[in-house]
Amino acid sequence: MSFFQPLLSGILTGGVYALAGIGMSLVFGVMNISNFAHGDLMMLGMYLAFFAFTLLHIDPYVSLVLIIPIAFLFGYMMEKVFINRVIHHPHQNQILLTIGLGLIMSNTALLAFTSDPKILTTSYSSSAFNIPGDISISVPLLLSFLITSVIIAILYLFLSKSSTGMALRATSQNREAAQLMGINVAKMSAIAFGIGTALAATAGALIAPTYYIHPLAGHSFLLKAFTICVLGGLGSVVGAGVGGIIIGVVEAMSSTYLSTDWKDVIVFVLFLGVLLFRPQGLFGKKGGQ
Amino acid sequence: MKQIALIAVLAATAVSLPIVMGENPYITGIMISVLMMAALSSAWNILGGYAGQFSFGHAAYFGAGAYTTLILLTLYNLNPLLCMAIGIVVACIIALITGSIVFRLRGHYFGLASIAVAEIVRLSVLNFEFTGGAQGILLSDVSLWGIDLNSKNPFYYGMLLVLAVTLGITAYLRKSKTGYYLQAIREDQDAAASLGINLSFYKNKALIISAALTSVLGSLYALYIRFIDTSAVLDLRLSIEIILTAIIGGVGTLWGPVVGALLLVPLAEMLRSNVLGDLLVKAGLVSETSAIGIFLKGNLAHAHVLVYGIITVLCILYLPKGILGLFRRVK
Repeated sequence: MSFFQPLLSGILTGGVYALAGIGMSLVFGVMNISNFAHGDLMMLGMYLAFFAFTLLHIDPYVSLVLIIPIAFLFGYMMEKVFINRVIHHPHQNQILLTIGLGLIMSNTALLAFTSDPKILTTSYSSSAFNIPGDISISVPLLLSFLITSVIIAILYLFLSKSSTGMALRATSQNREAAQLMGINVAKMSAIAFGIGTALAATAGALIAPTYYIHPLAGHSFLLKAFTICVLGGLGSVVGAGVGGIIIGVVEAMSSTYLSTDWKDVIVFVLFLGVLLFRPQGLFGKKGGQ
Repeated sequence: MKQIALIAVLAATAVSLPIVMGENPYITGIMISVLMMAALSSAWNILGGYAGQFSFGHAAYFGAGAYTTLILLTLYNLNPLLCMAIGIVVACIIALITGSIVFRLRGHYFGLASIAVAEIVRLSVLNFEFTGGAQGILLSDVSLWGIDLNSKNPFYYGMLLVLAVTLGITAYLRKSKTGYYLQAIREDQDAAASLGINLSFYKNKALIISAALTSVLGSLYALYIRFIDTSAVLDLRLSIEIILTAIIGGVGTLWGPVVGALLLVPLAEMLRSNVLGDLLVKAGLVSETSAIGIFLKGNLAHAHVLVYGIITVLCILYLPKGILGLFRRVK
């Protein structure tokens, strides 16, 4: 098999990982909280896409128009009701709170939707086309990569041009100083968490057509999202984007050249390697730990 | 004096409990689980509670003890106690590797890295052949000095002994130089370092003690259940249950983990065996044939993790110092 095949599919999958990683990194940057419920928010996105498809007969990619606002509101409310109460608590309490919220989400899903994995089969789920060089490109992967690129571009414009986006970045750089400049940091936290949730749910919806939909599916994505964030530098949105692509490629390469069983181990070894040699990540500020 | 008397009464009660209760395997089983969780959580508490290093990967040390013991027993039929000792060595090696990588870092990183190490251990065990992979390991028969290891009582006393040792070490550490250093590190790392405390040495010391005790419990568990697989002994959920038990009882207190285990383990058991659903039906709150009754009967057994989640959230929001913390405030 050609070297470019795993490289290309790695980049395409990595795009979706990047989306999940950016969501987590944004929350971390603005609120300084490690969100352990991120994977379960992705899982909710998968189920939203699944039910939009089976009940309302909406294509999973089109259903994003519904899923993004629903997820944003869900995340916004979650921050208002739970997360902002622990924003000045020690890290471990924040982590445990989000773990608890994650357990509630995944196990409620387990009760409501049972543990039978669901499969979302669209007319193009397994279709692919060939490009010169004997490389085949999966249609759903390509579509989700394109949608991811559009969303990241919109997010980039929002963060760099709009006043809310600038306020978010200011809060991320220095919470106290931002507050002194008259920025409503509590509101920024809720908005950041809402965007983070929307990005997680979008990533979930985008992989739904190519992945088993299961109440506990979030678990493995959570650890991947963390690896991406640490690799890119906790809190760095650009870093998370690049980190996502790197993780996607590393995964695809290790399943091709080593074995599928070991690909997650390779990802975690990479994670520890980054902590050992460059703890601030690729794009993090020095001393950012 | 009063404290010593209280501990003596507690110890006497714990030792005589199986004799008083008679041979009831179900009750003894639950008591063993309580003792094990209390000991696991106490061992975690040395690192998490006193040194303030929240490890989210203690399942790795538990699994190291459990897997080393059963692999050596099934392959070479060594003395179970020797297997246990080798298990401690394996757990300490994993702990040292983890510690040397992550103790240079702070805050979020330690928690994240401890999960990564535990996941590497879990996935490796799942992928290797000599560990039984996804099938796990089944132990057919084991004996030690003619003690009948088919009955539950030896394991009750084994777990009780490890719990007593763990609490003894914790009580000693609290008042020792190391204990004061650990608490100083927990409160303010920079201040502790500026006073000349070797941060990484003392953090590693706490981690090694904690990991060794956890590994012994893993070995005992493996000998007791005689079947292990990765979802039973290496799962992230186990690590979280250990932390949760300490949090609910009171992190950084001597008896907090014991209180947490006494509350959480029976609750989980009640949910798992559907006792709670039956109670609700018997009390006449829900009728057995109604939709809610049928739903509870069918699903409540799966809901114990959900209840764990709800308890965690409520505990962090309203009782961050645990039950013992609440008690202290009232006093």
